[in-house]
Amino acid sequence: MRGAAGCLIGKPMSIDRTFKNKFRRAVMWAALALIILLIFLSIYGAFLGPERAKEFFNSLPLAVYWVGFALLLTVGIAVFRRLLHVPGLLLVHAGCILVLTGAIWGSDAGHKLRKKVFGIDKIQTGQMSIYEGYSDNRVILENNEIRELPFYIGLKDFRLEYYKPDYIFIQTRRGQAWRFPVEIGVELALGPDHGAITVTRVFRNFKITIEGDRSMAVDEPAAAGSNPALEVRIESPDGQATTRYVFERFPGHIHGEDELLLSYERVVSDYISELQVIRDGEVAAEKDIEVNHPLYFGGYHFYQHSYDDQAGEYTVLMVTSDTGLAPVYAGYLMLCIGVFYHFWLRGLSGRLNKLINTGSKSE
Amino acid sequence: MEIKYTIQGLLIYITIAFYLFAMLASVLRRHRTGHVLYILGFIMAVLSCGYRWYHVRHVPMQNLFEVFLCMGMIYPVSVFCRRVLRVGGRSGDMLIGAVVLVPAGFYFNAQPLKLPPALQSWLFAPHVAVYIFSYIFMAKAAFHAVWQLVGKAHSPNENLLPPEEATYQVVCVGFPLLTLGLVLGSVWGKLAWGDYWGWDPKELWSLASWLVYVGYLHFRYMFGRRHPYINSIWAIVGIVVIVITMLWVNLSRLFAGLHSYGT
Ligand code: HEM
Repeated sequence: MRGAAGCLIGKPMSIDRTFKNKFRRAVMWAALALIILLIFLSIYGAFLGPERAKEFFNSLPLAVYWVGFALLLTVGIAVFRRLLHVPGLLLVHAGCILVLTGAIWGSDAGHKLRKKVFGIDKIQTGQMSIYEGYSDNRVILENNEIRELPFYIGLKDFRLEYYKPDYIFIQTRRGQAWRFPVEIGVELALGPDHGAITVTRVFRNFKITIEGDRSMAVDEPAAAGSNPALEVRIESPDGQATTRYVFERFPGHIHGEDELLLSYERVVSDYISELQVIRDGEVAAEKDIEVNHPLYFGGYHFYQHSYDDQAGEYTVLMVTSDTGLAPVYAGYLMLCIGVFYHFWLRGLSGRLNKLINTGSKSE
Repeated sequence: MEIKYTIQGLLIYITIAFYLFAMLASVLRRHRTGHVLYILGFIMAVLSCGYRWYHVRHVPMQNLFEVFLCMGMIYPVSVFCRRVLRVGGRSGDMLIGAVVLVPAGFYFNAQPLKLPPALQSWLFAPHVAVYIFSYIFMAKAAFHAVWQLVGKAHSPNENLLPPEEATYQVVCVGFPLLTLGLVLGSVWGKLAWGDYWGWDPKELWSLASWLVYVGYLHFRYMFGRRHPYINSIWAIVGIVVIVITMLWVNLSRLFAGLHSYGT
């Protein structure tokens, strides 16, 4: 049938003979109905926002829908011979079943069901806050319940990395603005009306110390807290020089009489937590995790989720169970191989060969 | 709307002009001139992307501006469709090329931004690139679907497929890419945010657009060419949902979500 006029890729144009059967027709209509329903449900979910959409798609009626969809796919494979015998179509539909099964298995309801039936009690998802130099095994769940992992996670160090260079942003009260890379000792000319600015020092952790009756700005990167700042010398057009401090955390910090509004900008390039897994008092694994590079241990993934944005002393990890992930990924792989095999390799390779063989005739 | 008085802006405007003149020439049946202008437009589009790449020093697919810039390089898709699929509609492709460059030229912010940590992943470029290609194919499919609805056909001596079949062929090429884009996005979500599915509005719209094509393929399997109008409407609804996925979710700011830094 393939190769019938006009059919270049995919399935034959004439309707499959097996489709005449009433049951198959009903299965096909049901499939179409479920697909259309899911289009509307997805759009509805998009209006809800992630949290409420998650709740909605995990609710009981939707659980019935997902199971029904997976069953219908299974029935489809059973009753349509072509879905079993055409490898691409089999991979696509079986892949969808695997994705659905894995997702149901790994869902909150799936975890609860396994606890009830098999007594397997695993945390599905939650968060951990760990201070530098400490270890912890407590996970806070979404409902604020606290659960414990069978091992401890220790935080050796948490650090932020920044893109280079840093920037100083300067604005006048009339809205004129400049943005310069921070370079110590380089004079930044602002034109005849505003004079010039020079960055004279960079502080990783700005502190004030009092010596006698004089207060002094010092940089104490090792001390508690985090207060990045710049020291700048402002030279007004009439030649008067003043010194100002520009704080990253307090942009626009300004003296009443100042003409210029200054801010210190750095762009985070990475958040890194140096983690250790401690089991039975021994280090069982170690990894520096960052965004996009989680730690995997004992059936859980640990992600860099958040951090102490005041002092950078603790990290917040997100913990997720790996239950159901393998079938979902296997399903993804089958789905992708299936669609490319069915639509590209089978259909297109024939066309391309023909084109190469006939050369320029096809133009 | 703002005019970009930069080399980048100039390259974009020249590309748009070439594409529009190419389309005009094609509509006026000056096919050879149209083709030459189309190729010139393509060269400008490549230069424009290359310039951006050099300028920002990462694959130019970080934000909507860059993504649309890449979509402007549509010429190879036209050649592929014509030679391999016998699907015409080159003047439509020129229009698609010009239309996708308009937001890049006049609306989107071209300020180069540093990659936020979540975007620093090997999955970033493939995920977006695959989507760009699939969207172009789906736009082309929709173009033929509209052609079918208004009753246009190619002249018989061109040896090209009639619009309804052309729509189907192009969807068949675009659908695997759309599927891969969705899957790569999901795998990346798992790596970056800990979940392969976050129920984020952008994810749900992209699922909806993928499902529209799943629906189209099944509907066409059930009825073949018996309801050509309905087939075409499926393909048009598909591109409408894709456009919403791409733009509205980012631009409307109605739904804050994980993908909002894409603007
Ligand atoms: C819900 C139950 C489903 C049933 C009963 C079903 C059934 C079928 C049948 C009978 C065919 C025609 C095979 C042939 O060419 O002879 C088909 C094709 C196809 N199905 Fe499904 N399907 C279902 C869901 C899905 C889903 C969720 C996907 C998602 C990817 C999917 C993807 C496809 C594709 C890509 C084709 C090929 C269409 C073509 O060649 O034009 N199906 N399906």
